[in-house]
Amino acid sequence: MQMFFLQFLNGLQLSMLIFLLAAGLTLIFGLMDILNLAHGAFFTMGAYAGWLVSRMTGSYWAALLIGPLVPFALGALLQSAVLQPLVKRGRSTHLDLALLTFGLLFATAGTVEYFFGSSFYSIPTPAILSGRIAMLGIDYPVYRLFVIGVGLGVALLLSLVIDRTLIGATLRAGVDNREMVTALGININVVFVIVFGCGAALAGFAGVIAAPIMSVYSQMGIGIVVTTFVVVVVGGLGNLKGSFYGALFVGMTDTMAQAYLPEAELFAIYVLLVGMMIFRPQGLFGSTGRVA
Amino acid sequence: MSALEVRNLRKAFGGLEVIANLNLSVPAGQRRAVIGPNGAGKTTLFNLITGWQPPTSGEILLHGVPLRSGRPDLVTRGGLSRSFQKNMLLDSVTVLENLRVACQAADRSRHSFLRSPASFPDVRRKARRAAEKMHLDNCLDRTVNELSYGQKRQLEVAVALCAEPKILLMDEPAAGTSPAERTNLIRLINELPADLTIVLVEHDMDVVFAICDVVTVLSYGKVLATGSKDEIQGNPEVIEAYLGKQHA
Amino acid sequence: MTRHVTIEPVAEQACDSEPARGMDVQRVLVLATCALALLLLPFISSEYVLTLAVEVMIAGVFASGLNVLIGYTGLASAGHAMFFGLGGYGIGIGTAIYGWPLWASVPVTLVCVAAISAVVGAICTRTRGVEFLLITLAFCQMFYGAAVKLRLTNGTDGMAGIPRPDLSWLGLSADGSIVFYGYVALVAVAALLLVARIVHSPFGSVLIAIRENERRAMAMGYAVGAYKIGAFTLSGVVCALAGILQAQYTYFINPDSMSWQSSGEGILMVIIGGADAVMGPFIGAAVFVLVKQGLSLITGEYNLFFGIFFMLVVAFFRGGVVGAFRTLIGKWR
Repeated sequence: MQMFFLQFLNGLQLSMLIFLLAAGLTLIFGLMDILNLAHGAFFTMGAYAGWLVSRMTGSYWAALLIGPLVPFALGALLQSAVLQPLVKRGRSTHLDLALLTFGLLFATAGTVEYFFGSSFYSIPTPAILSGRIAMLGIDYPVYRLFVIGVGLGVALLLSLVIDRTLIGATLRAGVDNREMVTALGININVVFVIVFGCGAALAGFAGVIAAPIMSVYSQMGIGIVVTTFVVVVVGGLGNLKGSFYGALFVGMTDTMAQAYLPEAELFAIYVLLVGMMIFRPQGLFGSTGRVA
Repeated sequence: MSALEVRNLRKAFGGLEVIANLNLSVPAGQRRAVIGPNGAGKTTLFNLITGWQPPTSGEILLHGVPLRSGRPDLVTRGGLSRSFQKNMLLDSVTVLENLRVACQAADRSRHSFLRSPASFPDVRRKARRAAEKMHLDNCLDRTVNELSYGQKRQLEVAVALCAEPKILLMDEPAAGTSPAERTNLIRLINELPADLTIVLVEHDMDVVFAICDVVTVLSYGKVLATGSKDEIQGNPEVIEAYLGKQHA
Repeated sequence: MTRHVTIEPVAEQACDSEPARGMDVQRVLVLATCALALLLLPFISSEYVLTLAVEVMIAGVFASGLNVLIGYTGLASAGHAMFFGLGGYGIGIGTAIYGWPLWASVPVTLVCVAAISAVVGAICTRTRGVEFLLITLAFCQMFYGAAVKLRLTNGTDGMAGIPRPDLSWLGLSADGSIVFYGYVALVAVAALLLVARIVHSPFGSVLIAIRENERRAMAMGYAVGAYKIGAFTLSGVVCALAGILQAQYTYFINPDSMSWQSSGEGILMVIIGGADAVMGPFIGAAVFVLVKQGLSLITGEYNLFFGIFFMLVVAFFRGGVVGAFRTLIGKWR
C-alpha cells in the first residue's frame, strides 16, 4: 500500500510535468492551428537557460523566473518572424508549419550541442525544498511535492484566466472566429505572438522545474515531448481540459507500468494511445460529430 | 415500392432534435425537391440518407433494402449517389481522371494494383459518356483548377452520375452560379434519363420548379407539406413557415 | 460584372483531348539516360563515388516508399524510420539469432513488416493531418524504445555482422564494392518499377483521389480506410526493403536507424524530390546525400545545419526539384 502511494505520487509528479508541456502545446494549437513539434526544444532551452542563471546567481528562484524568458523570446520570434509571414503568404498549410517546426527541432538540438556539448548538467535543489517529508508511512522528497503543487497551480490559473477573464474571453473568441476578434479592434497577430511565447515559456518553465530531478542534456526534450504528443492526442488536440486529464492518464500509466509491469514499461502509454484511437479517435474531449 | 423510403427518422445532436419523426417516400422516376427555411434540417436529412451520419432512430430504405449507416461508400454502391453543395472535386487532376476514378469505383478494376488504368477501356468509355451527359466532353484534359465555376458545378453532378445511380441526390446544384450557368445546368439535368429518381435540395425556387414535379417542405425537422407547385404555393402552413404568422 | 459563361464557346477552344505523346518520349529518354548512367558508373568512377551512389539508391528506395504515403495518399508520416529499422533488425534477428539463411530471412522479414505495418496503419489512418503526424511519430518512438531495451536487439550497441547476399554461385563476392553496387542497383530499380507500377494502377488513382478529396473518394464508393491501410502497408514494406539494404551496406544495425532524425530525413528527401513524381524521391535522395556529405566536410554540427536546411526546404521549396524544373521548362517554352 505504501509502495502504491509512493508510485501514485511519482505518477502525479510526472503527470504535472507533462501537463506543463501539453498545456503550452495545446494553447498554441488551439488558437493558431499550429502543431509545434519543436515544443521539446523550448523545454530544453528553458532548462539550459535556467542552468546558466543558477550557476551565475546561485539562486534556483532566479533560474525559475529568468529561465522561461529565453523560450518566450524565441517562441515569440519564431511566430512573428517565421510562421506568421508564411501563413500570410497563404501557401503553407498547418501540416507545412508542423513540418517546419520539425526542422526546428533538429536545429535547436544542434545549437544546444554546439554551445554546451553533450555533457550532463544539473540545477541543485533549493535548500527550502530539499529534504523529505514523512507522510502516510513514507518519506517523500519535498521537491517532488513542490512539482505537483506547481502543476496543479498552473492548471488552476490557466483555467481561471481562460474561463473568467477578458483575456481568456478574447482567446476563446479567437479560436472560434478570428475575423470577429479583429473586428473588435484587437490585433490578433499580436495575440498570436504573445500566446506562442507563453506556450513556449510554459515549456521552458517545465524545463527548469524538471532540471533538479532530470539531468540537463541536449536530448532531454525529445523523450518527454513524444510523451506529450501522446497526451494531446489522448486528451483531444487543442483542448486544455483534455490535456490535463490526458496528462494524468498518461503519467499514471507510465509510472504504474514502470513499477508493476517493467516489461511493459515501453508499451503501456502506447497501448493507452492505441486503445484511444480505436474507441475514441477524437480524444477524450475532442470535438465529436466531425463528418469524415 | 418506393425508390427511397424514410420511416420515423430522428436525429438529435445532444438535446437538439434536428430531424423529428420524419417520413418520406419517393417513387421511382420521380423528380422530388426538398425545400425549407434555413435550419429546417435539409442538409442533415441528406447526410443521414447518404450514410455520412447515423440516425438516432428510424429507418431508411433504398428500393426496400435497409441502409447501413456510417458507410457512405456502400450507399453509393447500393445505387444512391450524391453531389455536394460545395464543390468536392479532385482539384489537381483532369476532368477525365475525375470521372474515370468515379466510374472505376463501380468496376471490378478498382481492386487492381498491378495493371495500368489504360487496360480497362470500359471505365474510360463510361467516363466519357458521363462527361457528354453534362457537356464536359470538350475539356476532358483540363485540370479542375482551370475550369470555370459553372463547369465545376456540371462536373460535380457528372461525378455523381458515374456511380450509375438509381437515385441521385443533389445538394443545391445551382448554388453560386450565374443566370446563364443556371439555365444551362437546368437543361442538362432535365435531359437525364427519365427513370432516374432525383431528390433535390435547393433554395432557388426557379430551379426547383424547373426540375421537379413534387415538392416536400421541411420545417423544424418535420415534413410540413408535400405536393405540386400549386398545392405548395397555396398552402397556408408553408407560407407561415417561410414568412412568419402575420402573413398567413 | 456578371460573367455570362456559356459552356460551348469556352469548351471549343479548350481541348485537344488526345493525351500528349511528347511526355511519353520525354519520359523514355530520361529513363534510358538513367539506366545508361547506372550501367556505366562502375567503369568510369572511383570507389568513393560508387559508395555515394549506393547510399543514394538506398535512401531513394526509402524515400519512394515514404512517397507512396506522403506524395500519393497525402498522409504525412513522421515515423516511417520504424519500418526502415524493422527491415534491418528483421534480417539481423533472422540470421544471427535464429540462424536462418539470408534468402529465407529477407522474405520472412518483409512479410512480418507487412503484417506490422498493416496493423499500425489500421490504427494510424483513423486520424489525419497533424494527428497522423503525431501518432506515427509516437509509434516510431515505441519501436525505437523497444530496440533500445530488448535483449533480442542487443540494446544501443546494435547488431553487427549483418550478412550481404552470398553470390558465390555466380563466382562473385558481394563484399566487393562494384558487386554490391550492382546488387543494390538491381534491387533499387526493381523496387522503383514496382512502386511506379502500383501508383500508376487503378489502386494508385484511388490514392490520389483520397489525397485530393477524401470525402469525395468516399462518396464515389471507395472504402477509403482499406485503401489507406493498403498504401501504409506498401509504404512500410518498401521502407523495410531500404532498411535491409542499409543494414547489409554497413553490416550493422542499431536503434539510431529508427530515430526521429531518420524519419525526418525521409520526409526531407520526399519534399526535395517533389511530392508526386516517381523519380522525385531518388532525386531528393541524391540531393540529400550530397548535401549531407558536403556538410560533413565543412562542419561537425550536422543537426544544426540539417535543421536549417530542412526549414528552408519546407518554407520555400514545396514543389521540389522536379516541380521547380517543370516550372522552369514551362516558362522557357
